[in-house]
Amino acid sequence: MLNFKGEQTMIEIKNISQAYGNTQVLREVNLIIKEKRITALIGANGAGKSTLLNVAANLLEPCAGTVLLDGKDIKEMKSQDIAKRIAILKQTQHLNMRISVRDLVSFGRYPHSQGRLKDEDEQKIRQAIEYMNLKEIENKFIDELSGGQRQRAYIAMILAQDTKYIFLDEPLNNLDIKYSVEMMTILRKLVKELSKTVIIVMHDINFAAAYADDIVAMKGGQIMKEGAAQDIIDQTVLTEVFDHEFCIANVYGKKVCVYFPPEDKSAKGDAINE
Amino acid sequence: MENNKRIRRMFFVLSILIIVAVIIYFYARVIGKSLDSGLPLTADIAKKIASRSAMSILGMTVSAALIAVVSLAFQTITENRILTPSMIGFDSVFMATQSVLVFLASRWAVSKHLFSNPYLNFLITTGMMMVISMLMYRIILRKNKNNIVFLLLFGLILSGMIRSFTNYIEVLLNPQEFQQLKAVTSVTITNMNTGIILLAAPVMLVLVFLFMRKSREYDVMLLSESNAKSLGVPYTKRLNTNLILIALAMAITTALIGPLTFLGLLAVNIARELFRTYKHSVLFIGSILIAILFLVLGQGIVELLRYATPVTVLIDLVGGVYMICLILKENKL
Ligand SMILES: Nc1ncnc2c1ncn2[C@@H]1O[C@H](COP(=O)(O)OP(=O)(O)O)[C@@H](O)[C@H]1O
Ligand SMILES: [Mg+2]
Repeated sequence: MLNFKGEQTMIEIKNISQAYGNTQVLREVNLIIKEKRITALIGANGAGKSTLLNVAANLLEPCAGTVLLDGKDIKEMKSQDIAKRIAILKQTQHLNMRISVRDLVSFGRYPHSQGRLKDEDEQKIRQAIEYMNLKEIENKFIDELSGGQRQRAYIAMILAQDTKYIFLDEPLNNLDIKYSVEMMTILRKLVKELSKTVIIVMHDINFAAAYADDIVAMKGGQIMKEGAAQDIIDQTVLTEVFDHEFCIANVYGKKVCVYFPPEDKSAKGDAINE
Repeated sequence: MENNKRIRRMFFVLSILIIVAVIIYFYARVIGKSLDSGLPLTADIAKKIASRSAMSILGMTVSAALIAVVSLAFQTITENRILTPSMIGFDSVFMATQSVLVFLASRWAVSKHLFSNPYLNFLITTGMMMVISMLMYRIILRKNKNNIVFLLLFGLILSGMIRSFTNYIEVLLNPQEFQQLKAVTSVTITNMNTGIILLAAPVMLVLVFLFMRKSREYDVMLLSESNAKSLGVPYTKRLNTNLILIALAMAITTALIGPLTFLGLLAVNIARELFRTYKHSVLFIGSILIAILFLVLGQGIVELLRYATPVTVLIDLVGGVYMICLILKENKL
């Protein structure tokens, strides 16, 4: 993808391999992350999704391969410059400090302000708090919040960071259905209104099918399939990726996966068309 | 803001207390000495004692400040609130290096000055502590950040081993060498290595400045390693500089005043309780003030009551109990 100046604007993952001891976690992975879209990374536990995300965001140095961020090798860039373009939120967050929602969100400005907040920073912090509906609880401490509120506070921090790319590792993990839907709706809004590029690791394929533009399916440290969400949600593809029988149904014109084995083995999963 | 006012008031109170502590200390030393000797206190003697006491206070200040700053930085980079460099055996590395240097000095012609030249000796010792702290971080600390009990046990075993090694070397020394060694390794708060105070003081100021300059970055590091990296902190680079500075500071205080095992733990945690903030700009100053207060006031009272045990022993006693409480609380055993 080229921007109007003719520069490359995207993330390109080239021949990335990663190993811990003798276990190969990523095997020569190649991937181009398209701009202004939500890309969902799916796959079984241990497929290497988190590792790939960490490598792409420069949290982890791969054994081999390169990551090009807008055409530049990420290894040659300053940490601070990377942090102005990519924000990543890891799977589990446990906090060793007592900090208010507002202060947490303020940390998002660190790459820009180095902790000395200017008017512009204050404005971005305010916007992020409002965007994530945290206004009423901005002075509460993080450890007083519910799982959903806490997750929103972290996302607000990432929003305040004001990066083009947002990487989220299983952000729906501790959220109930209501909050999960809310979170995905917000992410869609981010792409549409703020032109963000979101890469999200998720477990629930139905959420991926409903909210992602593209899906990348991983297995055993490799990318098995990638493509538009509607093309990946396919019985044969998913069965291969997850080693599990799937049945694809059609509800309200959207594809939905059913992943429970039928009680009566002879009953074939028929797609129910509304 | 309300909290900022509270913090400033607390700094003020601590400073007043330190001044009171200094007065008590001077009083105890000057009056105490004249009572001991039974001689009338002439202006001349009083002046001499006072200037020696001033040196002691300077030494205590330098050590307390270094220990406080280093303990806070170390706890932040290792993501724990209990361990400090002293508690996992940094002091014992200092002692071991000294004994090896004495041993080598007499048996290996080239190494004659390694021990006796104070600058060379200091460089080697600091270098040794840096290497060991890096190794320790790479091999043990990084992978077991959340396992405090394991790390404590590891520290205990490591310092035990290093101490046995030191004892073994000491047996090999002749009496004269042994005396030389003891002159360096038996420094305590009442028997400071006054020769290096004037050199250590400016170095302390520089080190404290270097740590405090990065206060905001330490705040970000509290969020966890991955969040700090995501926010653009060059984490690995910072770790290395930190470990080097910490080793340097530990070498200075150990050479100056000997081991202060639990002072850092007490100062940093009490600062956290008092100031109720995560901000390192406040916590650095707070823990420095508290550490200085502990040492000077404690030693002042000890001298006033003319106890034989130095305050460091009492601090270790209180600190040890406090550490056990912290571990029980954090691990919810
Ligand atoms: N630091 C590590 N040390 C050793 N093995 C690791 C480490 N991190 C991940 N792994 C292994 O790499 C594999 C892929 O992990 P991960 O990327 O977290 O998978 P996913 O996020 O898809 O569940 C797993 O088998 C995991 O055990
Ligand atoms: Mg994962």
